[in-house]
Amino acid sequence: MNSQPSATVGRVNLPRPNFLALSALLVVLMAAIPLLFVIHSSGQLGSEQWARLWSARVVSLLFNTLSLAVLVAIGCFVLGVSCAWFVTRRDFPGRTLAVWLLVLPLTIPTYVFAHIYTELLKHDGWLGSVWHGIFGADTPTPDLSNVWGCAFILALAGFSYVFLLVRGALQQSTLAMDEAARIHGAAPWQVFLRVNLPMLRPAIAAGLAVVTLHVLSDFGAVSMLRYQTFTLSIYSQMSSRFDYQGAAGLSLILVSLSLSFLLIERFFRQRQRYYATGYRRERALKVARGWERWVIWSWLGLVTVLAFVLPVSWMIVWSWEAWRLGDIGNEFWGYAFNSGLVSFIAATLAVILALPVGLYHTKRQNFLSHSFVQLSNVGFVLPGPVVALGIIVFVLSGFMQQSMPWLYGSFAALVMAVVIRFLPLAVQSQEAAMQQLKPSIEQAGRVLGAGPLENLWRVTIPMIRGGMISAWVLVFIDVLKELPATLILRPIGFDTLPVRIWIEASEEMLKLAAPAALVLVVGTFPAIWVMMRGEKT
Amino acid sequence: MPGNTLKRRCIWLFVGGLTLLPGFAAVAADELVVYSGRSDKFVKPVVEAFSAKTGIKVVLHTAESTALLNKLRLEGAKTPADVFISNDAGNLQVGSDMGLFKPLPKEIGDVIPANYRAADNSWIGLSARARVLVVNKNNADAMAIKSVWDIADPKWKGKLGVTSATNESFIAGMTVYLQSWGEAKTKQWLAGIKDNAEGRVFSKHSAIVSDVAAGKLAVGLVNHYYIFRHLAEHPDAPVAILLPDQGEGAMGVAWNVAGAAVPKNSAKAEQAQQLMAFFVSAEGQRMFAEANSEYPTREGVPAADEVPAAGSYRVAPVPMAELGKQRNATVDLIESAGMP
Repeated sequence: MNSQPSATVGRVNLPRPNFLALSALLVVLMAAIPLLFVIHSSGQLGSEQWARLWSARVVSLLFNTLSLAVLVAIGCFVLGVSCAWFVTRRDFPGRTLAVWLLVLPLTIPTYVFAHIYTELLKHDGWLGSVWHGIFGADTPTPDLSNVWGCAFILALAGFSYVFLLVRGALQQSTLAMDEAARIHGAAPWQVFLRVNLPMLRPAIAAGLAVVTLHVLSDFGAVSMLRYQTFTLSIYSQMSSRFDYQGAAGLSLILVSLSLSFLLIERFFRQRQRYYATGYRRERALKVARGWERWVIWSWLGLVTVLAFVLPVSWMIVWSWEAWRLGDIGNEFWGYAFNSGLVSFIAATLAVILALPVGLYHTKRQNFLSHSFVQLSNVGFVLPGPVVALGIIVFVLSGFMQQSMPWLYGSFAALVMAVVIRFLPLAVQSQEAAMQQLKPSIEQAGRVLGAGPLENLWRVTIPMIRGGMISAWVLVFIDVLKELPATLILRPIGFDTLPVRIWIEASEEMLKLAAPAALVLVVGTFPAIWVMMRGEKT
Repeated sequence: MPGNTLKRRCIWLFVGGLTLLPGFAAVAADELVVYSGRSDKFVKPVVEAFSAKTGIKVVLHTAESTALLNKLRLEGAKTPADVFISNDAGNLQVGSDMGLFKPLPKEIGDVIPANYRAADNSWIGLSARARVLVVNKNNADAMAIKSVWDIADPKWKGKLGVTSATNESFIAGMTVYLQSWGEAKTKQWLAGIKDNAEGRVFSKHSAIVSDVAAGKLAVGLVNHYYIFRHLAEHPDAPVAILLPDQGEGAMGVAWNVAGAAVPKNSAKAEQAQQLMAFFVSAEGQRMFAEANSEYPTREGVPAADEVPAAGSYRVAPVPMAELGKQRNATVDLIESAGMP
């Protein structure tokens, strides 16, 4: 477990660097289309308009957005790390079930969370009734349209990312260290604070980065709960005032904010590089004692009930109602098929396109490769509606109209937008896997006579398979849930499940949205199963 | 190796999917594309009746009205849309001011009273909704409210339900009040509303109605059909509709319409006009109104029985086109008041 300056290591076995750099460049150029649009449009803002934007909006938006991000990060940290520690350091009945229940909240879109909790907390809703039972009929139920409510929803919807990454890191880290600390007299909580936590820093940072980026670009929950963040404000600037330049100006500020946040995160992570040794001692987990089980399941029970069991039960009840009333027709399965199709193709493309970017950066580790990785993040830090707008403008531009007139309004434009949006997920998780590649293994492949492509196909890819699988699954899940870009860019008559959920819910026919939400959750099961299985091998 | 066949299958599936990419744009050439900003539940029955009658197939492309209007604007000549349906007169007028629509022939437009359509027939209103108060029947004080102005009274602190000021219906209602009250008075009203709501605005009208029914709130500002929707589900709920600002010289109830227009660049303007003609026919009007307890805009077609009959009360005499023309002014006012 030594950190190593890698620039010198990587140079030795560069497989046709120009080809690799070129493909990385192409991918990054595509990913940067929305950013170019933002820069171009906000460039047309005069200084007076900037000043007005700044004085009227930016300060309060900054405050709203940042306070939400911080609260969600804290919530996800507490939930994710505690749950991950329990399931990797103690054995207790139902442990596998707990792991599943802690990952599954990923399948529920934030706007569905927001909707369901608004319904549940109505005075005659499930939670509302419980609330009045405890606090008396006169205490109003908590209101979610504020920073606390939004943070609650987004933390429930996002903590699984932290959980997954921290759990992975805890599984990798050798128990020998824990044991050594224990032998020297540290109490279990001291082991956690002083041994586990510092070693988990990269995983926690990566998890919180994903969560924070989701918060910064979240559209669904904040628009349902009417909490003014940058993303929501950009959307209303664009959609009800037709002020694309103002929207672009706000987007530019948001992008700078997010990119600087990512740079900081990178900086903290960069100083640690761990190479997997390929040797991991298997050891039976400590079996939880009676009272420990009680504590563990009370906590995990509370978290999983709030984050998964309750929302899904609600969906099941209302889906059953819709089924009984005959509201679920053939079209419904068509929406499910459409969702699956977009997600499958986009996830596969994203994994393939992320490969050159990640590989180039792993091998080079220089300024250019850094910039490539940063630029590929753009889709994730820009709000979905802005990405979609950028793509529309690009596709409708004179040049594209001449070369590819069929692109506009086609399935391809939609796929392009969602790939751009979620490419960073693929880059990040593949790159994380690549960082654990020992350069010596690749060098061995080359020494044994494999060409660069063969080496890639037979050595590199098999070794980062786990990372590629989780990249695929993460992108698949996010595309499946994607709403704003799909709403704007889908081909005519091509509705996906989130689009249907949104349409029904926005006309306050919320209950009709339940079956679509349920199918979304069930449809993600196989993907998560693949990821969990891939992890073990 | 089983793993290999699986891998191969995945690859083929992916390649197969890729070849579909360009093909998916295809909307059959004879289909009429409707950009719809209303829930399918309200639009579909009407459109299906039209298809059954004429044999013209219709594809609904549903999203938020404002988003669709943006799309129309960006697409320009490339738009596949043949009809645009909006849930709010404001959007339609904004689109008309941008020159996105083609005016309809007089024989279609003139069926609808001039108040509920654009002056040049570039859009027409199809169904109207009233901005009313919902009150709890057991609250005598609330039942005695006479005007929308009264709900800004501090005595309703914590007892008033309003939606967020970004709601289209809220904005449209405000535009009407602004016309009648002027800027200073409207601002004062907004400040009172904001106080009474105590920072808690609703994202859903239906939630306001159900809170009023439960007695958590005394009064709420909503569209009339939410009350009837609630009553259809809970016939015994103690809620009543209160038509504000009646009587001699009063402002009247604010109305808003959902409507439709034919985009300038529609390639099938003729069929699109056929659809519009069906929308304003007595049959189409009845279907539109029935789906959501709204008021048909065509004179002589009655609304549902439970709804207070049009003409039985005073409606604010503001032309619907004003809702679009004054929208930015209203939004500016709302923002300067800091209404959430």
